[in-house]
Amino acid sequence: MSNRFGVTSSALGIVLATVLFTPAFVAAQAQSGAATKPADTKTAAKADTKAAKPWTMPRLPDGRPDLQGYWTSISYTPFERPAKYGNREFLTEKEAQDVFNEGVKSSFDGGASGAADAVDDPNSADFDFKTYGLSPWQNGVKPNMRTSMVVDPPDGRIPPLTPEAKVRLKGKTQGYFTADTGLGEAWNGVVHADHAQDLGVGVTCTALHGGPPITSGGYNSGLFIVQSAGYVIIETEYGTENRIIPLDGRPHPSANIRQWHGDGRGHWEGDTLVVETTNFRPENTFRNANADTLKITEYFTRTAADKIEYKFTIDDPSTWTKPWSAVVPLTPIKGPLWEYACSESNNDAIQILVGARNAEKAAADKPKGPVGVPISQR
Amino acid sequence: MRNRFRDVAIAGATAAVAVFLLVAVRPVAGQAPAVARPQTAGQAPATVQFPANYKAPRTADGKPDLSGIWEAMVTADIDVQDHDAQPGPHADIMGAYGAWPGGQGIVEGGEIPYKPEALAQKKANADKRMVVNITPDSQRHDTGDPELKCYLAGVPRSNYLPFPFQIIQGTEHIMMSYEFARGLRTIYMNENDKNIPKEAPADSWMGWSRGHFEGETLVVDSAGFLPYTWFDRAGDYHSDSLHVVERYTPVSPYHMMYEATIDDPQVFTRPWKMSFPLYRRMEKNVQLVDFNCVEFVLDMLYDQYSKKPGK
Repeated sequence: MSNRFGVTSSALGIVLATVLFTPAFVAAQAQSGAATKPADTKTAAKADTKAAKPWTMPRLPDGRPDLQGYWTSISYTPFERPAKYGNREFLTEKEAQDVFNEGVKSSFDGGASGAADAVDDPNSADFDFKTYGLSPWQNGVKPNMRTSMVVDPPDGRIPPLTPEAKVRLKGKTQGYFTADTGLGEAWNGVVHADHAQDLGVGVTCTALHGGPPITSGGYNSGLFIVQSAGYVIIETEYGTENRIIPLDGRPHPSANIRQWHGDGRGHWEGDTLVVETTNFRPENTFRNANADTLKITEYFTRTAADKIEYKFTIDDPSTWTKPWSAVVPLTPIKGPLWEYACSESNNDAIQILVGARNAEKAAADKPKGPVGVPISQR
Repeated sequence: MRNRFRDVAIAGATAAVAVFLLVAVRPVAGQAPAVARPQTAGQAPATVQFPANYKAPRTADGKPDLSGIWEAMVTADIDVQDHDAQPGPHADIMGAYGAWPGGQGIVEGGEIPYKPEALAQKKANADKRMVVNITPDSQRHDTGDPELKCYLAGVPRSNYLPFPFQIIQGTEHIMMSYEFARGLRTIYMNENDKNIPKEAPADSWMGWSRGHFEGETLVVDSAGFLPYTWFDRAGDYHSDSLHVVERYTPVSPYHMMYEATIDDPQVFTRPWKMSFPLYRRMEKNVQLVDFNCVEFVLDMLYDQYSKKPGK
């Protein structure tokens, strides 16, 4: 397939070389927190001598760690661990290079998540993100030594659902594209769009990447953190969403107040900012967890000038058989973030509804089945 | 016969009262003067002036600390000029729930100095404020009050909506997060940060804001606005040339005087100002509670594309 975008393979090589072989890459891995030693200790030793001077934690006037600035959560690391790695938490340096190479190469083949057919399929709603400057390699993605983001359970895979959750989630369509229409499994992958209330919170611009937790999105994974004496505010680029976390020890509100991104309460444990979030709305829970029982705990620990080790723990006893945790690296990007006014220019909602009306017309003479707008299965 | 002593006594008393008023009525910069009246038995005490030299508590880096949750009490979101109470939309269903209160305007001098053709546009805006026609292009912004659609309220309207907002003051950035539609403004405070463009990199609903302190006052200079926001429900509007300079001055632990100078040569004959007090929300553990409002307007925005009954 010819490359339409004038980017030669030598340019690709330059991108990879610049990112992979600078001391920063190697040093960054070596400086991971104490619990996360890289597999290759020889490289770590080399990195220490290459590192310019020992890093000290930047601190606010009150002595607390300074987490402020622009960060991205974007990563090529898979969320759950591919089975071939078993209980292995870290890649070798070569494996990490390969994962990163593969991610960048997929970006050149087309699409944000790298499916090669995205550019050539005129019926696909997907488009080539790099023409919009949205490809991960254009947005600060860095190699990551982890085999997966999920770190607990030790096999790097999300624990099983509870029997109660299996019943509750059977055929549930609630997600970015669709609301919970209760129409059942036949509709998975097809947006039933009689009216806008059938559409998901993402497509209607009701709730986007505000978290928690912070995960890696296809694009617009930028974050901006500002700290004041009693508060932390986390702005997420996708949707210009923002959550405000008080640090004064106040209790959560009662269950009569539910927020689209839950209600967060923060405190410091040593140099780690710990944020506990409850009071979620049922229309917008992480992986369709139970809003009544879901608690998400986040841990922000700055481990280097260019790294925040961000870990989150999902605790919902009515959905998963045990709590589980993931580590998402946050790496710096150059600011500023731009405004993302979502609802103000929402064309997706219109196009999906119009698409459903067209599908209905086209299906008028045909046997009944799910008549809606297919979600790309990439 | 005229009593010269009485005349002198009256003149003297008048002079004394005049001196008293001159001394007592001492405006602080940016505020309307308090009126001092002599005490009389049975009357309310004279209005207390804010202490003239009030200084807000300091942040760790020595700046006036504006952090907290603030809210306006004026009805300027309905109309920034003087206005009577009025029935709201669908009064037959909404009754007093939906009616709009009257209120005094916040425009200094009383009237907005529109160019004649712009005044005609304001009236057209007001006539069509409830018209909603959401097309997949910018024509969707041609008619109708953006507030009705839960669109971002822009500047300075966000500050006088009947909803609280929170100021979070970092060392190089002041963030303003608005309960209405969770709007967000970033005020860039470090003029030496090479990464932050001086001019807006792209136009936006909430503008591009740079700020600095002048004594006790936060001064915020904003431009780079899209032309789609209004100043109120009465159709008062601006163009993409809008330039706003705001001044936030704490005058007590619980009050912050606010003024915004509006400069838009496409629409107005000269710059003009709005001003009103902001009040600190004091409730224990007070916080913003989502007013997402997108979920409330889905029918209104998209119903023309819905499946029609019977099909």
